[in-house]
Amino acid sequence: MRSQTYHDRANVNIEVAIAAFSASERRKRGRGDKRILELSQTLKSTFEPVIQTSLYPRSQIDIYIQVLQQDGGLLQACVNATTLALANAGIPMYDFVCAVTGGVHSTSPLLDLTLLEENDLPNVTVAVMPRSGKITLVSMETRLHVDRFEEIFRLAGEAGTVIHREMRRAVKDRTEQLVASMQSVGRPSTGADVGDNEY
Amino acid sequence: MDTVLSSATPSATDVNSFLSAAEKEALKAATFQRLHPQIYLERFLEEKIRPDGRSIADDENEDTHAWRNVEVNVGSITTTSGSALVRLGNTTVVCGVKAEICEPELDNSDEGFLVPNVDLPALCSPKFKTGPPTEEAQVLSERLNEVLGNGMIPLSSLCIYPGKSAWVLYVDATVINYDGNVFDAALLAMVCALKNVSLPHAEFNPELNRTICTRPKSDSSKPARKLIIEEDLVPLSFSFGVFAGSYLLPDPTASEESLLDTTISIILNTRARILALSQLGTGVDKSEAPGQGVADISHTREADTLARCISLAKKRQAVIMKKVYDT
Repeated sequence: MRSQTYHDRANVNIEVAIAAFSASERRKRGRGDKRILELSQTLKSTFEPVIQTSLYPRSQIDIYIQVLQQDGGLLQACVNATTLALANAGIPMYDFVCAVTGGVHSTSPLLDLTLLEENDLPNVTVAVMPRSGKITLVSMETRLHVDRFEEIFRLAGEAGTVIHREMRRAVKDRTEQLVASMQSVGRPSTGADVGDNEY
Repeated sequence: MDTVLSSATPSATDVNSFLSAAEKEALKAATFQRLHPQIYLERFLEEKIRPDGRSIADDENEDTHAWRNVEVNVGSITTTSGSALVRLGNTTVVCGVKAEICEPELDNSDEGFLVPNVDLPALCSPKFKTGPPTEEAQVLSERLNEVLGNGMIPLSSLCIYPGKSAWVLYVDATVINYDGNVFDAALLAMVCALKNVSLPHAEFNPELNRTICTRPKSDSSKPARKLIIEEDLVPLSFSFGVFAGSYLLPDPTASEESLLDTTISIILNTRARILALSQLGTGVDKSEAPGQGVADISHTREADTLARCISLAKKRQAVIMKKVYDT
């Protein structure tokens, strides 16, 4: 949008669309739905510092998320999908952002909760940048005793690094596929454009 | 196209300096396509080939390579009563069917409802911005509504108790990737999703004035059921475009679609009988002599184009049938 143009960096615009059939109750949510706006805003503030926006002044990066089915961990899935989509688009970022939900049932910690578990148990979503170990997002809307919180928080942070490994593998596989298809067309690949970035 | 985008960044000259000769050629071709899309397409068609590599359906050279690959996957969304994911080349459509219970209308007290809807979100193509449904989305929804509403699902089969309770099927399709011919893909997705629907056993209790549904598999005397489908009325669509009044292009891609002056859709049933036809535009213009102006709108010319489209559609229908009925 013209009014949101920054002279020195890109504007990041995130929009989330939730399909009417994604939940057990059919609900057509418009774009102005408060929950969806909150989700978009959370994602925006998570990714704005991670994307190297200073490389694209006076531009806009649009990120569209389409939710097809919900079974808990919506924010977590949105963060992970956005990270991979940005990597797939070739937009430079400082690091991956890997998110996971954590919860606790009496004293046992849980990771990656389903919808049933989320509705019943206290749960927190944590997003980390694996290389630096920095946490970029912590979101909790349930009540959890402060003694329990530290353990869950730490576990979720560690789980983020596991997700990071899988993400790296996926990105590498895709890059290898692209390189292979480029080479098969008979084009010599120069070192510069096919560098295997060490994420 | 990202090649044009890269030339807008400050490092454009650096990019060019280590492109190989083949890559420079590709960049030139992509730029040409952006600047002169019509001529770009003409050059391809003169060689009897389309930009994505398909051959043109040209008279007797009717092979099924004129159509893009179709992939269908059903039942993957478990929150729905039935779902389907269809890929027509790069065009990808997801459709989910949700069944709810409501009171039937007073006029049609023994009929349920079928509510199709198509969503063209901004994520499927740079053509679409966020906001209220565009004209294209509305036209698409309306066309699909007409085609699906012609009796494929007899509405009386959706009635649970006349006057009190009936099923309403919300058929929601979302286009995930727009690469032309969304109508065919969306219709196929809706048809496959409807075939995949499984309705729980429902009984209306007049004393409680409520409908009671039985969870599937919990009571073997009240099993879930598939929809009753009128097989002769199951629609399958095959669309064509006409470019420059002379080339017939089956299953157009997005870049071709914007250059077409005519679109023809043939809708066949499972027995390859025609259910519906639509032609928007003037069709193929075969007039040779320069003297023949617009006044000479020969009816035989029109019939030729349509006849060709119909025969091509019938050939293709056999392939689609295998995909739809083998899943």
